[in-house]
Amino acid sequence: MPDWKALVLERLEALGLSPTQEEEIASELAGHLEDCYEECRTHGVGKSEAIERSLEQVASWPNLSRKIRGAKRKEEMMNHRTRTLWLPALISLATAMFFLMISTQIALEPRVIAERFIILHTSTTSTSYSFAAYLPWLILLPFCGAAGAYLSRRAGGQRPVRLLAGLFPGIALFGLVSFLTLIGQIVPFQHQWSAFVTALLFLMVPPGIALFLGVMPFLKEPRSQARVNN
Amino acid sequence: MKKRIRSQIARGSAELAILALLAEQALYGFEISKQIEERTEGALHFTLASLYPMLYDLEKRAWIKGRWEANSAGRDRRYYSLTAAGKRQLEPLRQEWSFFFRALDRLAGVTHA
Repeated sequence: MPDWKALVLERLEALGLSPTQEEEIASELAGHLEDCYEECRTHGVGKSEAIERSLEQVASWPNLSRKIRGAKRKEEMMNHRTRTLWLPALISLATAMFFLMISTQIALEPRVIAERFIILHTSTTSTSYSFAAYLPWLILLPFCGAAGAYLSRRAGGQRPVRLLAGLFPGIALFGLVSFLTLIGQIVPFQHQWSAFVTALLFLMVPPGIALFLGVMPFLKEPRSQARVNN
Repeated sequence: MKKRIRSQIARGSAELAILALLAEQALYGFEISKQIEERTEGALHFTLASLYPMLYDLEKRAWIKGRWEANSAGRDRRYYSLTAAGKRQLEPLRQEWSFFFRALDRLAGVTHA
């Protein structure tokens, strides 16, 4: 009996899947051919004719490879996108929001402000509170960006995907501010455009820069990858 | 005389055939193709090349799932079974085909042909 798996691997084109998946597909197709062969043999068909009849199951191996690739890869790509973009982006956003919550919590504790943020005593109280929450958050943001970009790189994300994953908290904030401004168009309030610009300046630009600082080290290719590419 | 249904119609009905079979029991690829051929008296025929892309597609849609198990001959084969989502799809598909055949019957009297 022929080595059906070797025969399939010889004919099947690369499917662009993980080696384990390709191996599994080859085993499954080989099993089918083996069953066809066995069936022919039990009906008294000669060896060479049984092989021939089994191989007739596939008129065009490139065509079959293309069909399997089409059926399997969409799923792979979706998983890949989740692993390289959505999961790291959500982790980056969640940590950024967590740090914002913590820094706001601390900032709203007047005793802490009085003791630890002496520099803010010169401003008005509300501005002091805002800055007391904002500045520590800004300092922590590079770590959020770094976490997103690192996880994306570890999952095999390309450079633009890593950048997107790391900057995602900033993008989400921009989306939120834009949405609130649009709502303001429906229910107008005073100074909405100046509020939008202020929000952009405080919630987009400095956090964006802070996140980018964290993302930067992970935009470089890992050493092993760089070696392969060279 | 046995007649093969033309490929376009066969492809359309293949989904229903596979899901209906797997609703009864878990089967591996070769068994699926054998049973479909036997039970349709050769009207529906699956080759390896037509069966597996369809199985992988159904698996991608999470209507069926495969797992490796040894068959009666002790050889490892990938058995497919219907998922809960697949079970939910089966009834509407049956109704759709039944509606299609009734409509065709009204139009062309296919049951009296």
